[in-house]
Formats: sequence, structure tokens, C-alpha cells
Amino acid sequence: MKISIVLVLLFLSASAFGKTLRIGSSQEPDTLHPFLSKMIVGDYIYRSVGRTLNVLTVDGKWEPQLAKYTPSIENGKARFVGKGKNKKIVADWEIKEKAKWGDGKPVTGHDVVFSFKVATHPNVPHSQMDDYRNIEKVVVDKKNPKKFSIHYKNASWSYNRMGLFYVLPKHIEGPVFEKHKGTMEGYAKNTNFIKNPTNPGLFSGPYRITDVKLREFVKVERNPHFYGPKAKIDTIIFKTITNTASLEANLRSKTIDMIGFVGITFDQAIAFQKKVKAEKLPYNVNFKPSLTYEHLDLNIAKVDAFKDVRVRQALAFAINRNSLVKALFSNKQPVAYHPFSPISPWYTGNEKLIHTLKHSRKKANQLLDDAGWKMGKDGYRYKDGKKLSFELATTAGNKTRETVQVFLQDQLKKVGVEVKIQNQQARVFFGDSLPKLKVEGMGMFAFTFMPEQSIADFYHSNGIPTKKNGFAGNNWSSWSDKKADTVINKIEKEFDMKRRIKLAHEFIGIYSREVPEIPLYYRAEISVTPKGMKKYTLSGHRFSGTSAVEYWDL
Amino acid sequence: MKSFFIRRITLNLLTFVIMSYLIFQLMVLMPGDPLDILVSTSPGISPEDIAKLKEIYGLNKPGWERYLNWATEVLQGNLGYSRTYGVPVTQIISSPILNTFILASLAMALSLFVAIPLGVFAAVKEGKWQDNLLRFLSFSWLSIPSFWMGIILILLFSVVFKLLPAGGVQTIGVESEGLIQLILDRISYLILPSLSLSFGLIGIYLRYTRNSVVEVLKQDYVRTARSKGLSQKRILFVHVLRNGIIPIVTVVSISFGTLFSGALITETVFAYPGLGRLIYDSIISNDFNVAMIALMLVVALVLASNLMADLLYSVLNPRVELE
Repeated sequence: MKISIVLVLLFLSASAFGKTLRIGSSQEPDTLHPFLSKMIVGDYIYRSVGRTLNVLTVDGKWEPQLAKYTPSIENGKARFVGKGKNKKIVADWEIKEKAKWGDGKPVTGHDVVFSFKVATHPNVPHSQMDDYRNIEKVVVDKKNPKKFSIHYKNASWSYNRMGLFYVLPKHIEGPVFEKHKGTMEGYAKNTNFIKNPTNPGLFSGPYRITDVKLREFVKVERNPHFYGPKAKIDTIIFKTITNTASLEANLRSKTIDMIGFVGITFDQAIAFQKKVKAEKLPYNVNFKPSLTYEHLDLNIAKVDAFKDVRVRQALAFAINRNSLVKALFSNKQPVAYHPFSPISPWYTGNEKLIHTLKHSRKKANQLLDDAGWKMGKDGYRYKDGKKLSFELATTAGNKTRETVQVFLQDQLKKVGVEVKIQNQQARVFFGDSLPKLKVEGMGMFAFTFMPEQSIADFYHSNGIPTKKNGFAGNNWSSWSDKKADTVINKIEKEFDMKRRIKLAHEFIGIYSREVPEIPLYYRAEISVTPKGMKKYTLSGHRFSGTSAVEYWDL
Repeated sequence: MKSFFIRRITLNLLTFVIMSYLIFQLMVLMPGDPLDILVSTSPGISPEDIAKLKEIYGLNKPGWERYLNWATEVLQGNLGYSRTYGVPVTQIISSPILNTFILASLAMALSLFVAIPLGVFAAVKEGKWQDNLLRFLSFSWLSIPSFWMGIILILLFSVVFKLLPAGGVQTIGVESEGLIQLILDRISYLILPSLSLSFGLIGIYLRYTRNSVVEVLKQDYVRTARSKGLSQKRILFVHVLRNGIIPIVTVVSISFGTLFSGALITETVFAYPGLGRLIYDSIISNDFNVAMIALMLVVALVLASNLMADLLYSVLNPRVELE
């Protein structure tokens, strides 16, 4: 009898407190406004409280969220208008009947129009314009405000991927925007996401933000007005612990329950996995190959030697990438031969299509000899009295990258190439050196390509940053290849996915032969979750797993 | 005394202005302004947009002009906005100042409480094994890196014994449980970081106290006091300690200023949102306004603590005249 009373009391107390999940993260969110945030962790938190029209799921498929369906030419919900250069697309969208804001007000097409207006306003400092740039206008159905049409400027096949089009509540944000839109950053400084982030009306997702302490934590609790299934976990706390060693200690002391994907480093994860096995700790260390590929960017504009394709190929031949991923990553991060990872539809492992330039010191030496770089007595190569020597820069303090650097330095020395390590703070590296083409050699960093993301900005000659274009563009190798430009232009206009993939493979062929970059490996996304956690999956791409947070369970 | 005070205040103000100009120019010289980072994250931004934004933010103006604009705004009470968090600087800086003040004061009090008696004890036992042991310990505490000490404390007290929280400021939601519970909770979060911060300080203060007291113990007036038959306790606490502690005042005053900005590693290891971490984060993320105000605050604190040291000198040692 006594035992049953105790059990009942325990059950009651457990239900009174509900299920809470505390997620540790090494990055802190800058702002909770979806399109003003520049941090990945900002988006990670936002997707638990806000939903977009559609999203790329953890399985790599585009699925509607706030929208009833994703319009397409095939399902008749989208159509071409105009001809030739004026060919455009109009798509008819509809918001789910049950979609509501956290205060119970319905999400409508007027919210979409408002969001577009805010995002494109010149006084709003928006850093992710991708999904807004191609929109000409949004028109709401006069009879049914849940229905609206988006008129796209260009007939681009990616028109219906609206995962970065964040819908804002007009009834909450409208008055703030109207009051402050006249001053630069006026809206950004006064938005409710900053001034009153616990206003329930701001959120359309399975949770609502209920408590925020800058630089400490964000607490979210179940949103009773969410259109989808009731979230299994009652409360989630996103806690900031910037020191990755402390993250592990916090996990083991139960201060946090899991480490999200913006947490520990790869080598820490491998080490922690060993501890989990040895000490039988109640955690799972999860790895998922992601769309992020680590590579060496060759600054062709700055280093004369890189202008010769034989030198670029020789450098690729000189590096034993298989041995790199085996020795440093226990093969958990696969070797990359091109930018598109195994979870991208554009991926191919067909060696007939790719110039893999697999490790061969003999071929590397031969190519360098052919290019006129002769081995000197000191073990380094020279041409016209000039040593084959350049910088290898990356983000200072990144232990994994610094270890890889030493490996590369050793491999290249074996073919007579001198590499001088010149690391920089991330803010200088990404904010100045790379975009202004200041790296005097190779820059090591990662790019993340979403499935079928446009590559024009990264590999088309129009994407080369110059003083004239304000150093806009991400072609930081300053690679200019007419054939590659032509294929990229064709990809941009091709609506048929199969043909698009074929063109992407054609691009990979040119890229892997011309070597504007040396791909190293595809990074794995990592997280640590409590044993027994259900329905949790890493996404491996730009749209984090919190897009399906309502299914997570403890 | 009055003229000394006025002269020092004027000199401090001048130093403050010069420092603000130098720090501002150093920040301007750092490669990459806030817009460069924006450009790298939004490849589609047009050159016209960049030019317009630079014009609005005044980033295209020379350094001295930008400094004058910034200083004018600050003098009018407008400290600006944090570019990272989008909130006024006053809002972002107040909580870290308070957090660091509490942490630094606690660490300082703890280290003085431990170091001074131990230093006096070591001096009294000069050359004996107790003295040697304490000298060895103080050297060890001084040499242990604070990040290592922090991790060891967490492993010991949070992971193994599960006695204290591993990091943060307080338990989320503890406010609802009442004031006493909140205070106890906050104290539990302060123990490990203040202990971690204290170790190095104990090492420094112990050595200074010991050496200073050893010197004083050799003075004639101490010998006279002994020959007069005064008790060891009275000699130590009435005659020796007052003079022996004077050099400590200088060290403590200076270290309080640096402690305020230099608790970065401890704050990072214990996920404690204080001023040191704020300064580091704001410089790394190019949050110009926050970095400037936070750094100037530290400058002001160092100047004020130096002035305080001089004033305390005259109080503790009547032979020192402030002219």
C-alpha cells in the first residue's frame, strides 16, 4: 500500500514538472529575430519556435510546413508567364487552416506580404536575402486570406524552396515596423524579438519562447496553438557554454542533458565516444556526414605558381587524403573530391566523371618538373630562382584545422613545396583576408552547399570579388573558366532535375580537372544525446533538426 | 592633500581621454569592419548597398572624425547599440559588470582571507619547514593555469561528487522559489569560479605578505617591542601587520582592476557571463560600441584603483604625505 502511494506521488510530481530537455551549445545566439540573426545557433533555436512555408527535412526532402503544399509546375499550382527573357513564374501558395501564431491569431497571406516588405526594406539590415531576392511581389487572395500568389522575377527552378523565407506576425511586428521603418536599423533595434521576445504572438512553431537571458540561455515551452502534433517534451532550454571542454563537464554533471550540433569539436566527440564505451555513460555520440566540405582555396589571383594548372594538380596529387581521414578522423569524415557531399543529389562517386587526383607522389613530382619547378639541394623546388613557397592560412585556435595543417605541410614538403602556416582570427580570416583575396597562398575553410543550391556565386567568374563590386561574391579562388561558366549558366536555367544533375556532373568534371580548390573531406555533424532519446536526427544541412523538434522525446 | 587629489583627478581624466583615443584608433586599425563580415555572409549584397551602409555608419570617414562623433555621442549619454545583439550597450553591459564585480570581490576577499594569515605565519616561521612548504605552495598556485584549475574543480565537485553546479550564474527559474533560495543558489554557482580565480591571487598575496612581514620583523622598533616584553600576538597584530600590509595594498588595488577585465578564462570555463568574456566576444565579433565602452570601463577602474591605493597609503602610513 505504502509503495503504491509513493509511486503515485512520484508519478504526480513527475507529471507536474513535465519533461525538460537542456541543450548545451558552444555558440550563443546574437538575436532571436529569424532574418536578422547571423548565427547558426540562432536559426537552430528559431526552428523550434517558428516555421517557414516549407523546409528541407532531415531526410533531404522539401516538405511543406506552414504551407498546405509546395506549388510546382507538375502539380499545377505554379505557372510560367511571359516569354524569352521576360519568362517568369507565378506560384499559388496556401497556408494551413490550423496554422496560428502563439497568441491564437491565424497565420495568413498578409503576414507573408508583410514579411516580404520588411525583409526587402532598405533600412532593414538583412543578411540572408537569398529567398527574397527573386520575388517581385506577393498578392493575397481577396476572398481567402490564407491563399496568396508569389510572382517570381526569374524563371529559376529553385523558386519554390522557401526555407529561408521567414514569416513574421503582422499584427505584432506591423506597428513596430511602421513606426521605425524611416530610420536605418530602426526596426532592427525595436523589433519585439529583441524588446519583448517572450510575446507568444511571435511564434508559429511547436514551442514559444518564455524566458531569455542574453549570453546565458533561451527557454522555450510548448505552444498550445501549434498546427501540428503536440510536442512531446514540455520545456527545452538552450544553454550557452562557449568553452567546449566545459560543455562535456556540464553534460557529465547533468547540468545539461545533451550537446547540440553547435557544440563539441570532432576530436572531442571521438574522445568522448571512447569514454562513453569505457565508462558505460548513458549517452549516444551521433555523427552524420553533412553538406559541409572542408577544402583548400587556392588564391590564383595572388600566387603566380597557382596560375599553372599543372601546379594545382600536383598539389592535389601530393596530398594523401585517405590517410588524412583515417589518421585524424577514424574515417568518420569521408574524403572529398568535389564540393557536393554524399547527401546532396548532385553527388557522384563515378570515377569516370571525376578527376580524383588520388595520392601519387610520383605524378606530383612529374607535374611540378614539367611546370619548370626543379628540385633544389635544400629539398625545395625553384623556378627562375624563386622558391615554390606560399602561405597556408586558416582560423586560429581551431584544433582540428591546425592538426590538418601540420599534416598537409609535411605532405607538401615531400614534393619540394614549402608551406608557411599563417593563421588568423576567424573575424579577420572571413571578414577581410578571404573576401578581399589577401591570402598569399591557400586558405583552409569550409563551404556548405544545400541540396541543389546555386553555385554561381562560388564558381562563376562573375562571383570573383573585386574592388569594383565591393568585394561581393564568394569565388575566393578567383577562378575563371569559360566552360565552367557556361555549364553553371545552364544549371541555373534547367528545370528538369535529371538534366540538372547531369550538368552538375559535367561541372564536377571541369572542377576536378582544373583544381581551383583542393577538396579535403566532408565534415560530419555531431551531437551528444541522452540514451533512449527518441526521434532525434541530425540534419547534416542548413536546416537544423529542430525543424522536427515536436517529435523528439525522452 | 586637496591639491594632490585635484591634480590626480585631472591627470586621470587626461589619461582616460588619451586612452580612449588610442583604443578607438586601435579598433579602427583592426582588419575587417562590421560590414565586411556582413558582405561575406550575404554574397548578393550590391556595391551600392555597401557604400550606402558605410555612409550611414560613418565607416568611410577618417579615424579621428569617427572618434569625435563617437565621443560626442557618449558625452550626450548615448553609448550606442550592440551590433551583435541589437540592444543598447547599457542593456548588455550592466549585467556582466555586476556579475564580474561579485565574482572579483568574492575571489579577492577569499584570497586575502587565506593569503594574509598564511603569509604572516610563513614570515614568523622564516626558514623553517612551514615557511618552505608555504613558499612552495604559493609558487605552485601561482603557476597553475586557471583554465586547468577550473576544469579540475568542475570534474571534482560537479562530475564526481555532484556537489556544485558546473557552470552558469543561477538555476533557471529559481527566482520563483523566493529570495533566500535565489541567494543560496547564486552562491552555489559562485563557489567554483571564485575558488578557481583565488588560487593564483593567494599565491601572489601570500608571497608579498610574507616578504613584507619578514622585512618589518627585522626592524628596530620590533626588536624594542620584544625587549619590552610585549606578547608575540601584540607585536604581530599591532606593530608588524600595519606596516607589513602597506605593499599589499598596492598589489591588491592594481590586481582588482586587472581582475575585472582579466577573468576571461575563468568566466569562459564556468560559462559565467562577465565583463572579461564580454570584452573578448565583442572584439572578436567586431561589436565596436560594446568593446569600446567595456574597455573604457576597465581603464577607469584601473585609474580609480591606483588613486585609491595612493589614498590608502596615506591612511595606513602617516609618514607618507600626499603632495
